[in-house]
Amino acid sequence: MSLFTAEKPGSALSRFWHKWRFHINVLLLLIPLGFMPKYFSEVALFRGDTGLGEREVGEVQVGPWSLRLAEFRNEAPRPDPAGYMKAFNAALCDSCRDQVKATYLRIGKPRSLRAAGVIFFGAPYRMGAMLPIPEKTKATDELWITMEGWDGSMHQASVPLSQASPATIAWLNKQGGKP
Amino acid sequence: MINAIRPFHVALLVLCAGFSASALAHNPMCECKAIDAEQIQCTGGFSDGSGAPGVTLDVIGYDETILVPGKLGEDSKLTFKKPGAEFYVLFDAGPGHVVEIDQADIQAP
Repeated sequence: MSLFTAEKPGSALSRFWHKWRFHINVLLLLIPLGFMPKYFSEVALFRGDTGLGEREVGEVQVGPWSLRLAEFRNEAPRPDPAGYMKAFNAALCDSCRDQVKATYLRIGKPRSLRAAGVIFFGAPYRMGAMLPIPEKTKATDELWITMEGWDGSMHQASVPLSQASPATIAWLNKQGGKP
Repeated sequence: MINAIRPFHVALLVLCAGFSASALAHNPMCECKAIDAEQIQCTGGFSDGSGAPGVTLDVIGYDETILVPGKLGEDSKLTFKKPGAEFYVLFDAGPGHVVEIDQADIQAP
């Protein structure tokens, strides 16, 4: 009588696991490496290493001042509980940083300073704003920038939406602009 | 020395993690509907799900005169009589945190 019982031959799956488990675990460690390029490009975008945003709109003259406007992401508006939203970034010109109190963004000409749209927040070198895009926005609409100075003055300028965000225009055309 | 600081670091990390959610964007939202032929009810709030009790909601004419200066009640709602002149509703939670609703966008009852 032998003290040792013969080891039961395991299932095919069990044999596969025992043979390859080391290699499979090494592969698991490699998976995060695949996400690294995406991760580093996102970090660079958020830090501003790759510029103001994914797509620069350019310098916009607003009365005596100007700002550099950029789409944070070159993509269609994203859904949010408050409607579809599009993020824009902006940087004030060198000479106007001390003079501008607030910068607002709106689709269509504002009715008043109170209803000038969303406000840009953050440092003047890199400000951000989340602009709601109403579903009935037309492709011919314009993006209005309102700037308010510490001296009480107000200046406005507009950029065609087609120039400010071609991705938004493509999205509007695709969903067939609500009446 | 290092050991004495560590619990403080842990507490700081927990605090940072705990309060990070409050830094998420919360965009203002407002919805208006006609509850009958004469009255309009507006509900305000923020996209993080919070209500807006006490926030200013003005009904403004196309000529920029304030027709109904109002504040949302405890239930984040305000009901007002439909003005005779052309108007829009402005939910005003502070500069740059506004929602405008034109009279044309208010659903009929």
